Amino acid sequence: MIDLIPPDVRSRLKGLRIVTRRAVGSHGLGLHRSHSRGAGLEFAQYRAYEPGDELRQIDWKLYARSDKFFVREAERESPVAIWVLMDASASMMQADMGRPDWRRFDAAKGLTACIAELALQQGDRMGWMALNDAGLRLLPPGSGLRQRDRLLIDMMALEVGGGFILTDQLAPLWERIGAQDLVILLSDCFDEGAVGLAVKLASAGREMLVIEMLTADERDFPFDGGHRFRDPETGRELLGDGAALRSDFLRRFGEARAAVHARFDAVGVRHVDYVIDQPMDLPLRRLFTAQDAAEYS
Amino acid sequence: MTPALLLPGALAALAALILPIIIHIARRSEQHPTDFAALRWLSERPRPRSRLRLDEWPLLVLRLLLLALLALFLAQPILSGANGRQNYVAVVPGADLRQARLSAEERGRAHWLAPGFPLMRDGAVAAFQPIGSLMRELDAQLPPEAMLTIVTPSIVQGADGDRPHLSRPVRWTIVPGAMAERPAAVAPPASIAVRYDDAHAGEVRYIRAALTALLPPDRRKLIDVAPVGASLPGPPARLIWLSGGSLPPRVSTYVQDGGTALVAVDALVPEAGNTIFTLWRDQSSAPLVTEQAFGKGRLLRFTKALRPAAMPTLLEADFPDRLKSLLDPPAVLPARATARDYAPLPGGSRMHVARHLDLQPWLALAIALLFLAERWLATRRTRAVAP
Repeated sequence: MIDLIPPDVRSRLKGLRIVTRRAVGSHGLGLHRSHSRGAGLEFAQYRAYEPGDELRQIDWKLYARSDKFFVREAERESPVAIWVLMDASASMMQADMGRPDWRRFDAAKGLTACIAELALQQGDRMGWMALNDAGLRLLPPGSGLRQRDRLLIDMMALEVGGGFILTDQLAPLWERIGAQDLVILLSDCFDEGAVGLAVKLASAGREMLVIEMLTADERDFPFDGGHRFRDPETGRELLGDGAALRSDFLRRFGEARAAVHARFDAVGVRHVDYVIDQPMDLPLRRLFTAQDAAEYS
Repeated sequence: MTPALLLPGALAALAALILPIIIHIARRSEQHPTDFAALRWLSERPRPRSRLRLDEWPLLVLRLLLLALLALFLAQPILSGANGRQNYVAVVPGADLRQARLSAEERGRAHWLAPGFPLMRDGAVAAFQPIGSLMRELDAQLPPEAMLTIVTPSIVQGADGDRPHLSRPVRWTIVPGAMAERPAAVAPPASIAVRYDDAHAGEVRYIRAALTALLPPDRRKLIDVAPVGASLPGPPARLIWLSGGSLPPRVSTYVQDGGTALVAVDALVPEAGNTIFTLWRDQSSAPLVTEQAFGKGRLLRFTKALRPAAMPTLLEADFPDRLKSLLDPPAVLPARATARDYAPLPGGSRMHVARHLDLQPWLALAIALLFLAERWLATRRTRAVAP
């Protein structure tokens, strides 16, 4: 099995917990009750019968073998599902000039694997969607090792290309994502579609987190000399000299980012910038330790 | 130490310097296709850059240098006048340098007056040298401003017909000593063949008598006197041909192959157009023997019949020696002189034949090294673009 998480990142993931604001206290105490035993599908344990237990919960086969009453307990499903929405448009295929084999999409896959690992650790359900204009790829929420492996297989088979998903293709998304769920969008947020979707989900009451995936080229604009810049989604081309374009680009790009951030802040979308040459756990750490640790301590 | 070019026209090859510059500029205008998703925030009209820019200037400099050196190589650079105006000390072999009043530094760089003018401390040279011609050669090689000191023994050998006229004043230092004589060339005396016909049978006896007088008794059997029909010896042997009429082809061939033949007065010598000059005159200055070149050999001819009435000197006592010197001219000319009388005279023509240092091998080495460096720089793994 391919491991998408580098070893150093994996070791730093141990101290992280995915917390949600909305589900606190709805089922018991704690950040949110992920492990709670009771009725359900997944077997958790046997325990001795106590008066008051329902008779139908007694495992009669075990009684036949051991002549004692045991109650079969199952693990209740976590009330919170963590959804990872992955942008699969062509712009995600862009890589840095300095590191051509590490694309924005590879970083997104690694981040998804990290989130799946965290969800597995804390027993939360985790679902996944990949969005591009070819349609919506969906992995229903689940927990456990099998869910993680299914996720890996689905991500390996994913084909990236085209533009962002169109609004009329989003029906399954609205059907699946529950009101309590935590939604994490991994996208470069260059498309109005991605920004609009995040804003809409937040407005509809979902807890929305956005990790803005940027390449180092977009942060630094290190191009020098003549380049023919090509937009992978629209195919538009622009001839220009890197050094001459740099300051203007950085100014306009920064203004555009600020505008998007303002829209996110207005509807309560928590967002974090992630440049793909940074360690993979950095955005998760920013999202789930700094402010939340203070908030929930 | 003056650098100079033997073939300055080859510097036209410097025009090739434009090539690497073109290569390094032309690639600059190329557009590298780049995927860039944030294209919408790039300016629509980027300011075009007009400034000339060069890629990889270390490589460019290296290539320019390589081409410039190649052009210089073609122009055949030399470094002339390597000696400067210091005092040049030449020592005639046989002179004792310790008796000459010279500084230790001058002694250290004294040269032999010998072909190539080797340094004295590099070892001895042959004891006999043709010093007259060597002095002229040295004078022509030295730069005009250089001083010349020649240390010579009091008796010199190897002088030639004229006292050397040099272009510069010479410190002619005479120390006691003598040069070795020219080693005598030991050549075996050539045998002499005499061929005669009936008309000259009476003349043969003078020749035979002279030859008998010349040779020591144990070699007299070498005298080969026979009628014209007998076979001829090869070219080292001399031939005396006493027969009238035109020379038969075998005699002509013998002379043309390098032989020396002395023919009788009535023999018809071929008119080869060569200068005829007189080797021997009698007391009234009438010519007795003439000589002319013929092929590779010498053709000598009596101008009188070999009879005492026509040629009284036949009966003189020195006839055998005369005959021998005619057939075997002395190989060694007298070349002994006292150094005092052989001092070089001023007034020689100032003909400076530059002794120069050829720089081409060093340039070739530099070019090879530069080429290796250029290849190393151009095939590095870390290169981004490839002009």
